[in-house]
This record gives sequence, structure tokens and C-alpha cells, in this order.
Amino acid sequence: MCESLYPWGGRFRNQDPMMPVAVVTLSEEMDFVGGPIAIYGNMKTENLGVEKVIANIVSNPNIRFLIICGSEVRGHRSGESLIKIHENGIDSNNRVIGASSAVPFIENLPKEAIERFRHQVDMVDMIGVTDRKEIFDAAKKCLSMNPGTYGEPMHVKMVEKQNEISVGGSDLALHASLEVDAYGVVWPAAHQGC
Amino acid sequence: MFYFTKDQNRVDIGGLSIGGQPGKNPTALFGTAFYGKGFQSIDDESIKRAILLIKEQQKLSEQTGLSAIPDIYIKDACMALKIIGATLESTKGPFAIDSSDSKARVRALEAADELGALSRTIYNSINLGITEDEISALKEHTPAAAIVLAYNPRDCSVDGRADMLKSGAGLINSYEGGLLDLARDAGIKGLLVDTGATPFGNMSSEAIRALPVFKNLFGMPVGCSIHNTLESWNWMKDIRPENEQAYQCANACANGLIPLYGGDFIVYGPISEAKLVFPSVAFVDKLIAEGAKDYFNSQISGGHPYEKLK
Repeated sequence: MCESLYPWGGRFRNQDPMMPVAVVTLSEEMDFVGGPIAIYGNMKTENLGVEKVIANIVSNPNIRFLIICGSEVRGHRSGESLIKIHENGIDSNNRVIGASSAVPFIENLPKEAIERFRHQVDMVDMIGVTDRKEIFDAAKKCLSMNPGTYGEPMHVKMVEKQNEISVGGSDLALHASLEVDAYGVVWPAAHQGC
Repeated sequence: MFYFTKDQNRVDIGGLSIGGQPGKNPTALFGTAFYGKGFQSIDDESIKRAILLIKEQQKLSEQTGLSAIPDIYIKDACMALKIIGATLESTKGPFAIDSSDSKARVRALEAADELGALSRTIYNSINLGITEDEISALKEHTPAAAIVLAYNPRDCSVDGRADMLKSGAGLINSYEGGLLDLARDAGIKGLLVDTGATPFGNMSSEAIRALPVFKNLFGMPVGCSIHNTLESWNWMKDIRPENEQAYQCANACANGLIPLYGGDFIVYGPISEAKLVFPSVAFVDKLIAEGAKDYFNSQISGGHPYEKLK
């Protein structure tokens, strides 16, 4: 159930998938057993973390609200990235529009998944809030406003990269740009560069 | 274990040499200070604790022969002068300035200049998120060295990472060209290439593969912060609360991969880990230096763990 619902995995707890609320706790480890919360977990990075959250939300159309809470992740500002991608989407270079973190690039999701995410869920910005009761109360409020399922799930496949490389002339193969003999001497490959 | 036919440049800074042929110089270890639990807010007490950790790292360097560099994390621009000032009082060697906030990075450069410490400053890091303000600040307050981060979110393969360094992979808004040219244009002489550790599932191994590839390609000192791959591993996160030793063993193993694959520096995470990291890296360094001496007849630098740790 978990894998088909949330195929991208991640560090989260899966509860009742019929519930309409997902909670991202950013840098905090928090527990929200029961209640209207379908899934909760932390999220560390402004790119790969955001991708996982989006892929896992659009795969469960029952999720209609996303609460972001907990302390912002130092060094990544991943919470801000998630808020901004929901607000603005990404530009032609796949950069989250308006995000101020260093590398808010979304490279493994199709644009349709991002657009679907932006429409499927309402965002509840509670960045900085760590009081469990306050967050739980916000989730209950979301439940009272639940518009119902968004429709069919969207299963997003991670882009497979083809990188099969042949290395000729080497005793050891490490990379196409290198020739390495069995004693560890490294030569630039004559036939191919990086 | 490797010997590169391409000439290998060193970065000489604050009395330390980083880079060269594997085994020649000790691995440089960057421990991040003023960061993590206990350093959410910076006051006189937390500064005192950070300085103690910097001194402990330095002591381990003197014991083992490995090079120690404090990586000074600056969360708030307004604290830059105070933190760098305190660091300078505790170490005579080079230090890195590190922040997730571009304003803090700019202020840190200004502060290092005000304190007359740019000749000892390593900028961590020049990456694809660099802003125009940062580029201007780097030109005005040019540090002796910079870590250039090869991370390319569009293509995490070795070739994609190399592309970030050479061309910018079309992802840098503030500069037309690669990150290495950007750093050179700013006038930075000492360039260290960070191959950019990524989590499992995101071509994590390429950060290690890139070490010898980039040494062969650029002839520059290379390294990475492979502990980030370990720390993002969910299975390890699950078992760590019950088995801290498992994490520490895996961390020792992970850091050892860097010199084994030709890397010259490691950004190993919180400086409080120094006493666990230094001995394990010293073992790998000694082994590699012995191999370089025995087979390639390399001359090992004085004070290297090869000589120092009998």
C-alpha cells in the first residue's frame, strides 16, 4: 500500500491514506499519531526533498492540504522552496521561482506533476511552529474544509538516465576519460574526454 | 594508490599545502564550527565552546600530521566579524567561511578583509547559486582560496558535475560560463574542487568517481563532504539512535574513501567529530603514502602521518 501510494519513498510515517492532510516537519522529528493526517515526515533539501514530497502527494489524491511546520532547515531553506514552488512553480531553467536557497532546482519531476501539486493541495505555512497541539489543531481545521478527493492518482516516474559507457584500453575501468593501469597509474584516455 | 600523469597543482595557504600527487601531502580536514546543536544562537558562551573545538581539532592535527582547517559557519551576517575575530585568535592557520545565506557570505568576506585575514581565507563555496553581489564581493575582498562546488542538479553524473565547473551547465544566473572561470575571474588563486556529495538514489557514487576524474581533468585538489550521503541514508537514520557506533564506523569508512580515490580534502561535518575522523583518515593517508613511496618512489612531505605515526 505504502509503495504504491507513495512510490518515491522518503522519511515519513504513513497513516490513514483517506485523510486529507500531509505534514512536512522540515528539520524536526515529530509524531502525529492518528487524526486527520495521512502522512507526515521531515524534508531536508530544497531540491530532492521537495521533489519527493510533490511526487508522494500527487500519488494520493485524498491529500488536499499540506502543512509545513518545524524549524527551517539551515543551509537549505527547503521550507521556503516548497512554499515558493506552490506559489510560483518553476522557470524555464527548472529553478523554483522566488526561492532564495542555493540550488532550488527541480530536475526529476515533469512540469505536469508540479502543476498538479499546486492545484491539488492548499498550503498551510507554519514554518517555525513546533508546538504539536497547534499543528494538530491546524490539521483538524483542514479536515473541516476538506473538499474531497482530487480525482485519479498521478504516479510520477523518476527520469531514468542512460549512462552506459565503454572504456577501452584500460586495465581498470573508472571513467571514459581515464585509463588506469593495474598498478594505479592514471592516464588521460586518448579516445574520449569528459 | 593512484599516480596521475597530469601535473597536480597544490594550494598553499596559511602554511598548509593541499593537493598534489596522492600520498604526497596529508589530507586536509575541514570541520564545521559554530554549526549544529548548541549553536542555534551565537553568544559569548557558544563562541567559547566553538573555539575549544577548533583548538581540539588543531591538537589532533599536530598529533597526526593531517591538516586541520576550521570551516566557520556564519548564520547571520551581523555575527560575521565577531565569529571570524574569535577564530583568528584561536588559530594561526587557514580557515573557511561558510554560510547558506549569501548576505552572510558577503559580510564574512568584508569582515575577513577588515581583520586582515583574506590571505588565510577559503571561501566555501562558489556554487551555482552564487549571486551578483557575491561575485562583486569576491572581486573586492578576494580570498586566497575557494572551494568550487561541482554539484549539478540537472545531471549528477561525473560528466554533469564537470560540466558545472567548465560551462555552468546553463544553470548559473549571475555569470556566463563555468564556476572555475568565475572563480578565476574574481581573482582567486587557490581553487579546491568539491565534487558534491549526493544522497543514495541520486548518483551518490559519482561524487567519489569524480575525485580521480577531476584530478586527471583539472589537475587541482579535489575532495567532498561524503558524510552528507551517509547522513541522508534513511536506514542509518533509523538505527543510529540505538547504535551510534555503527554510524561512526560507517563515517570512518566513508571518509576513508576520499583519500583512497585520490581526494585531497574532506569536509567531514561537525568539528565535534574530529577525534573520530582524524585517526581513521590518518590510517588511510599512511597506507596511501606508503604505497606511493614503495611503488612510485614519491617523496612524502615532512610531518605526514607516514612519518609521524609509527
